[in-house]
Amino acid sequence: MESLKSEFPIFANAEKEGRTFIYFDSASSTQKPQSVIDAITEYYGGYYANVGRGLYWPATQASNEYAKARDKVRNFVGAKSAKEVIFTSGTTDAINKVANAVLLPTLEADDQVLVSEMEHHSNFVPWQQACIQKGADLKVIPLTTAHTIDLAALKATLNSKVKFVAITAVSNTLGTKNDIKIIVRLAHAVGALVLVDASQLTLSERIDVQKLDCDFLTFSAHKLFGPTGIGILYGKQALLERAIPFSYGGGMVALVNQDETTFADLPAKHEAGTPNIAGAIGLGAAIDFVESIGVAQIAKHNAALRTYTVHLLNQIEGVNLLAEDAGDASILSFTMEGIHPHDIATFLAEKGIAVRAGHHCTQPLLKSMGLPATVRLSFSVYNDQREIEQLKTALEEIKSFFG
Amino acid sequence: MTEKLKQLYKTQILKHAQNPFNEGKLEAYTHLIKAYNPVCGDQFDLYINIVDQRVIEASFTGYGCAISKASTSVLAKHILGKNKAEIAVFVADFLKLLDPNGPQPLEEITSDEELMAFAAAREFPERLSCANLAWLALVKELFPD
Repeated sequence: MESLKSEFPIFANAEKEGRTFIYFDSASSTQKPQSVIDAITEYYGGYYANVGRGLYWPATQASNEYAKARDKVRNFVGAKSAKEVIFTSGTTDAINKVANAVLLPTLEADDQVLVSEMEHHSNFVPWQQACIQKGADLKVIPLTTAHTIDLAALKATLNSKVKFVAITAVSNTLGTKNDIKIIVRLAHAVGALVLVDASQLTLSERIDVQKLDCDFLTFSAHKLFGPTGIGILYGKQALLERAIPFSYGGGMVALVNQDETTFADLPAKHEAGTPNIAGAIGLGAAIDFVESIGVAQIAKHNAALRTYTVHLLNQIEGVNLLAEDAGDASILSFTMEGIHPHDIATFLAEKGIAVRAGHHCTQPLLKSMGLPATVRLSFSVYNDQREIEQLKTALEEIKSFFG
Repeated sequence: MTEKLKQLYKTQILKHAQNPFNEGKLEAYTHLIKAYNPVCGDQFDLYINIVDQRVIEASFTGYGCAISKASTSVLAKHILGKNKAEIAVFVADFLKLLDPNGPQPLEEITSDEELMAFAAAREFPERLSCANLAWLALVKELFPD
C-alpha cells in the first residue's frame, strides 16, 4: 500500500512552512485526514443544531448524522444492535463508567478483579480504586517472556470470587497482542465479566465483538483518525440495561416526577447531557476512511513498516528492541545503551521526527521489565520506508553525539 | 539550538551525565531530598550535609536523562560551601538561565559554562522539568515557604 500522506493536510502544511514532520506517534494519537476535518466543519457550518429535540431541519439532519455515526460504529465492531454502542468522551471515560456503574454496585469485600501487567494506567487505576473502596482484591496477571498475558497464570488465578477481568488487547508500549477470545472464555467459565481495552486494536484487526464474546469493549476515536473527546463503549445489551445509568441529567430520562425518574431506553440511558455531536460525526467519517482502505490493509502496511524498522535498527550497535518478534504490530519500543529515551526523543524532535519517550502510562509493565522508560515508535498509513531510513540516520548521529 | 549551546550541551551536560559529581550516598547527612518527575519517571535522591550553616558535602543517586542527571550533578557540586542565603541566590539565577524569557545574553547571569549549558532548556520547554527537577526539590526542602 502506498503511503496516504496526501490525505492528511498537516503534512502538506508543514512542508509549505519548510518544516520536516515525520510522525511516529500514532499510538498516542493519529493525525486527521481531510475527510474527517471536513465532516466536522460541515456539521458546524452547514447544519449545526442540538440532537434529539429540535423540530427544524438542522436539528433533524444533526440527529440523523449522529444516529448514522452510531450505526457505523455498530457495524465497525460487529455489535448486534446500535443500542449496544454508547458514546463516551474516550476510553478512559468508558472504563471509569463501567467500573462505577457495573462493577462497584455489586463488588463486595473479598471479591477479586483481574487486570494484567501490561495495562495502560487508564485500565488499571479505576479497577484498583474500586477494589480499595470495597476491600476487594486486585490481582495482576503477569506476562510471558513473549510479553503477552500468561494464560496459564490467568487460568490458575481465575476462581469464583473473580467478578471482573479488564485487559488490553494490544500493549500500547510493546505492540504485543493478547488472545482475547481465550481470555474471555476462561473468565466466563468462572462467571466473571470481561472488558477489553481495544484502543490499539482498532487498526490492527477487524473487531467482532460477537466472536470475541467480550462483555464490554472500548476505544477512542482519536487513535483511528477521528477527533479527540469521543470514544466508544460497546456493552452487551442485557448488561447495559442492568447497569445503573452512567450519569444523570437531560436526555437520559423518560419520565421525571418529584419523587422518581424513569430512565430512557438504551443507548440514551447512558448518555446524559448534550453529547459530543461533532465528535460522533467525526468518528463516523473516520470509520468511513478506515473502511475505505480496510483494517487488514492498514494493519499490513503498519506491520511491514515495523518489520523494516526492526531490520534497520538492528544494524545500529547498542540499540535494544523490545518485543522485536511481535511482527504484526504497529508499535515498536526500544532503548539505546547509555542514552536516556528522553534525550533521544529531544534530538529526534530537533530533526522533525516525532516519537514518544517515557513510561507510556504503563509503569507496572516497565517496572516488571526493569526499565524506567523506552522510546516508542508507532506507525500509520502516512508513514513510509524513507522516513524510517531518516530515523536510522538520525539515531546514528545521536549515538555519535553522545558517544 | 545555537551552535554555542550545542557545543555546551555536548561538553558540559554530557560531561556531567557521563561522569557525575559525587554519585553515591553520603554516610552522614542533614538532608535527604527526593526529586521525582512522575511524567517521565526520573528520580534522584540528593544527600546534603550542612554543618555550621554551610554545605560541607553533597552527593546524589538515582536515574534520569542526561539533562536531569547533569543538572543534579552540577547542583551537588556548586552548592558546596554555600550557606542557605547563598543557595537561594544561586538557585534563582539557575532558574533564570532556564527561563525562555530570562535575561539575554546569558553572561548577564553567569560566566560559568557548566551552568550556562543548561540554557539549552530554553529551547526545549518540555525538557524544563528535567533541568529543574533536583533544584525545585531542593528549594522545597530548604525553603518550605
